[in-house]
Amino acid sequence: MARAHRIFWAARLQVGQFFFAVVSLVASGVPGSVWAGEGSAASAAYVTNQIGNSLSIVDLATEKQVAEIAIGGKPAGIAMSPDGRSAYVAAPDGREVIAIDTASRSVIKRAAVGKGPLGIAVNPTTGAIYVADWYEHRLYVVDPATLAVTATVPTGQSPSGVAVTADGTTILTADRDSNQVSVIDAATFKVQSTIATGERPFGITIDEAAGRAYTANVAANTITVIDLKSRTHLSDVPVGLRPYAVARAANLLFVTNQHDESVSVIDAVTLQPVKTLRVGGFPEGIEADPTGSTIWVACWDANTLEKIDVATLSVTARIPVGEGPRAFGKFLR
Amino acid sequence: MVRVVASLMVALAALLPVAAEAHGPSRQKVVSKIEINAPVDKVWATVGNFQDMSWHPAVAKTEGTGGNDVGATRKLTLQSGGVINEKLTKYSAEERGLAYEITDVDVKVLPVTNYSAQMNVSGTAEKTIVEWRAAFYRGFVNNDPPPELSDEAAVKAVTEIVQGGLGALKKKFEGG
Repeated sequence: MARAHRIFWAARLQVGQFFFAVVSLVASGVPGSVWAGEGSAASAAYVTNQIGNSLSIVDLATEKQVAEIAIGGKPAGIAMSPDGRSAYVAAPDGREVIAIDTASRSVIKRAAVGKGPLGIAVNPTTGAIYVADWYEHRLYVVDPATLAVTATVPTGQSPSGVAVTADGTTILTADRDSNQVSVIDAATFKVQSTIATGERPFGITIDEAAGRAYTANVAANTITVIDLKSRTHLSDVPVGLRPYAVARAANLLFVTNQHDESVSVIDAVTLQPVKTLRVGGFPEGIEADPTGSTIWVACWDANTLEKIDVATLSVTARIPVGEGPRAFGKFLR
Repeated sequence: MVRVVASLMVALAALLPVAAEAHGPSRQKVVSKIEINAPVDKVWATVGNFQDMSWHPAVAKTEGTGGNDVGATRKLTLQSGGVINEKLTKYSAEERGLAYEITDVDVKVLPVTNYSAQMNVSGTAEKTIVEWRAAFYRGFVNNDPPPELSDEAAVKAVTEIVQGGLGALKKKFEGG
């Protein structure tokens, strides 16, 4: 299987996109193996610049930064409202959640939340905002209209990444200093179970098509693959140095390696390595376009948002943004 | 009084069993480069020797093992008496670049955690550019850092090391 996929790769790289489409169709015979791109392409990226205390808005069609909004508070986490009208930023130094109106590109509300708000996600069905507190070891449930905290859920130590299943029923947190994922019921806000990961899980990503979740384990240089239905640890897959987060497009996983200036490309089915792509220094936030044709990566040291073409596995754009981009979360809309 | 409280907090922080690799919420960055009127190979011969950091004015002694192989270690004893332990994480003679991490340092010696850096050398037979890029978190891993372990203190200390080192390199190769 692994060998067959590598041969696919060699062929795909030479023959290009048309062949890729054929390969995808052939591979879709494997149950649950293919991630079909759905929805239309994202139009903009909202990139938190932690050192620059700002939010870069990048037009993805023209591949240019079109605005940089002053935010303050050393912003890191980012999430989008289900209708795309608001972007929510978590600023750990400012200890705030900040709501941005995406149409007017302006801050419309900000509110104190906890002592170290970092990871942030939005429930796709209810619009509720979930904020992980790095120092207080809990998850806050925040009302999107008022930005008031409406519930608090204790998690493991230093929860970092937050993700919500597409049906809105389950919240996952990557509890960095407990080497685990907490599985939280989005209705009762009770922790239903915890799942062991590799050392220091930071980013967490849900792969709906495969029924899996992935954590990037900073200290282990691995990603952990979790089966969501059985809530069990499936395997740990080696990647580069200090992985930050994972994204999936087509039949591939893409992992940012902070200390390697690289993105590891892994076959999502066989979990075998496919390729390592050189990107800007300290690649961090990473997200797949809804069509599955493009991956976007924020590079903290290079001060860029970089575009990876999924068909050719090459970096096709390096877009200058603000100082110290992190884009930790879902930053495309 | 404020200073006493701050010192106490530092002492307490040192005693607390903090999780390995815990850190503050904002990674800091120091990037600096310098142009040196000297052949690139000559400058790289110095910068590219991980086992000898005597070119840096703050370093009194370099002891290490592993040469320039990835995984090599060195222990820097500073003029101040402080000690920094480092590990080589990347090395390319062709690209004239190396990367390393601090594996152990007392925050009283250098107020940082999770420090990594790279040095890149480029140029010609006449002119060389040395670039030093450092990424790190403040010395205080918990919330509400005392001033001497804040983000600002970390940036200031690393800036002094980086600029002091680059200045010394220029002086070493250009004379005077």
